[in-house]
Amino acid sequence: MGTEADQGHLQLAPESFLSTDLINEIQREGIDSGRRTLIRGAIAAATAAIAVPSVRAADDPDIVNLPSWTRSLGKPVVANPYGQPSPFEANIVRRQSPGLTRTDQSSVSFTPLQNLFGMITPSGLHFERHHQGWVDIDPRRHRLMINGLVKTPLVFTMEELLRMPSVSRIHFLECGANTGLEWGNVAVPTVQYTHGMLSASEFTGVPVSLLLERAGIDRQRAKVLLAEGADGSSMTRTINLENALDDALVAYGQNGEMLRPENGYPLRLVVPGVQGVSWVKWLRRLEVGDEPWATKDEAAHYVDMMPDGTHRQYTSIQEAKSVITAPSGGQKLLKHGYYSVTGLAWSGRGTVEKVEVSVDGGRNWRPARVEGPVLPKALTRFQYDWVWQGEETLLQSRVTDSTGYAQPSRAELIGVRGTRSIYHNNAIQTWRVGSDGEVHNVQLG
Amino acid sequence: MCSWAKGVFIALLWGTAATALASPVPEGVETLGRPATDTEVIAWDIDVRPDFLGLPPGSGDVWQGEETWLAQCASCHGDFGDSNEIFAPLVLGNITEDDIETGRVAALQDSAVTRTTLMKVATLSTLWDYIFRAMPWNAPKSLTHDEVYGLVAYLLNLGYVVEDDFVLSDSNIAATQALMPNRNGMSREHGLWSVQGEPDVRGSSCVRDCDVGDGCYFFPARLRDECARQSCRAGPRLGALPRVVDCAKQ
Repeated sequence: MGTEADQGHLQLAPESFLSTDLINEIQREGIDSGRRTLIRGAIAAATAAIAVPSVRAADDPDIVNLPSWTRSLGKPVVANPYGQPSPFEANIVRRQSPGLTRTDQSSVSFTPLQNLFGMITPSGLHFERHHQGWVDIDPRRHRLMINGLVKTPLVFTMEELLRMPSVSRIHFLECGANTGLEWGNVAVPTVQYTHGMLSASEFTGVPVSLLLERAGIDRQRAKVLLAEGADGSSMTRTINLENALDDALVAYGQNGEMLRPENGYPLRLVVPGVQGVSWVKWLRRLEVGDEPWATKDEAAHYVDMMPDGTHRQYTSIQEAKSVITAPSGGQKLLKHGYYSVTGLAWSGRGTVEKVEVSVDGGRNWRPARVEGPVLPKALTRFQYDWVWQGEETLLQSRVTDSTGYAQPSRAELIGVRGTRSIYHNNAIQTWRVGSDGEVHNVQLG
Repeated sequence: MCSWAKGVFIALLWGTAATALASPVPEGVETLGRPATDTEVIAWDIDVRPDFLGLPPGSGDVWQGEETWLAQCASCHGDFGDSNEIFAPLVLGNITEDDIETGRVAALQDSAVTRTTLMKVATLSTLWDYIFRAMPWNAPKSLTHDEVYGLVAYLLNLGYVVEDDFVLSDSNIAATQALMPNRNGMSREHGLWSVQGEPDVRGSSCVRDCDVGDGCYFFPARLRDECARQSCRAGPRLGALPRVVDCAKQ
């Protein structure tokens, strides 16, 4: 304990870098440029506070002095009827971005991408985005109605839905506003806040196409679908029927168990490749229609502002995007030598074809290793071997998807869309590694 | 693709959705689920479309709307819908007669102007639908139809879209839609509706000695302009790193 070896090569981002006083002040006053500087200072202070011991023992006491767990009886089964993460992992939690919203019910908590492995997000770390708070619904009292342009409007109980033929599929779920804080300038320090409205799960449920067929969809007239929630906001979104019939699910399962309440228990819509707001939680109704509905979240919000003041409406698809999750902003490289640069890539239009990494700000690119199963509209993990000798480095990743679409640089993206949108920012992310090993979020301008 | 052709292309995408095939229903599955009763459908099918399909009959005037507003809405949105305390402002005095004439809110092009709901929203049905389904914040679906008509009338009056003596009803709501200040401000000409849509931005596939320019990185927003002013692109390109410096230290 307390040796340099314990620290490893990478000092993790000091996640609790904001003092309670500063968080309260930001919630009261919002973030202005002065407070951005404060936050930045707080990171530096928090980083400095984690001392790196310099003395290396000849013999590692954790090896030569057998620890208590090696010399005692362990705990019995069912000590935790529902298993929990180790207390040593207590820092790996969803976090709210101070100052982002003034209410905690219409707000966001972000997934700690910097700490996760593989291509699945633990259900308890799945980001949250609620519009009017979350609810916990008794599944025995939950119903799904299908109406509109169908032969027979139908009602299903949860029990009936669970008896129907089901499929399980792994898909990413990304909020349309993910990375939305970064359109105008660098705004947040870590990958949790820049890209943490992103997760991936195995979802289990009934294909929407089966339910619509069962209700007798009017194929001549049907063009769109309205999804509506059972919560107080009764969130509604217009869904492209083509997507819905292709691979959308009415899902009750997430990672092998029932959905978590924050993620829509007992029923949510899954629309692979489409932004999260369309994956309506606590789903109570699907209505088949022939014209879109222009609901609040497709007329006042989730509309993409273009440089000429026009808003793009019904933007839905999450285009190809990637991000390096480690090393990433707020972390610090403690030693020279080997690092496995790792991150995630995904595309709402298909599969990840290739991922490339640049260590010089996009001047030269080399292929990264794509890992594990490469599934359509799912997160794909990549790795890149890198030896750091202390030089200043600009780390970037770039994905190309199965349609041939290459992720744009920030300059390429804002060249078309300007900087005043909130939604669908899929620009290449840059992390600057300083000669001191500190990693910062930067934008090349 | 030139703009008219793009329009046709988008129209085709919107029009051909139903040609996709649905799954066959396995034998026995037809016994799961039951027909919804008319009363059940009425209880849940509360949505109102831009063509006002689904709008229940009723009416409310600006004064009734103000009364409901002060009792139910003002604590979050402010007496005049302009509060920025809890939610972004719904309405500020920045909609002009010209905007109402053209159906485009000119101030949306000005990045210094706070964007309000009434500046953005193109469809009157959106306001009616959302207020009825989700407001007030802590007691959604507690407003009567007439109260919602009154509230929408009050909001339009705050935005100078209708006069003080205006009465909004199911019979004049379509005519009132024609006054919405940003009714022509939305576009569906983009490739983000359909999986098959055409991307508007494409990244470079260059892998060696790519021209990425030089740059600076910045943190506080106010330094962005300074960065441009100080020409951060200066500096030699030696085929190594772009020259990247903290703008704040320049």
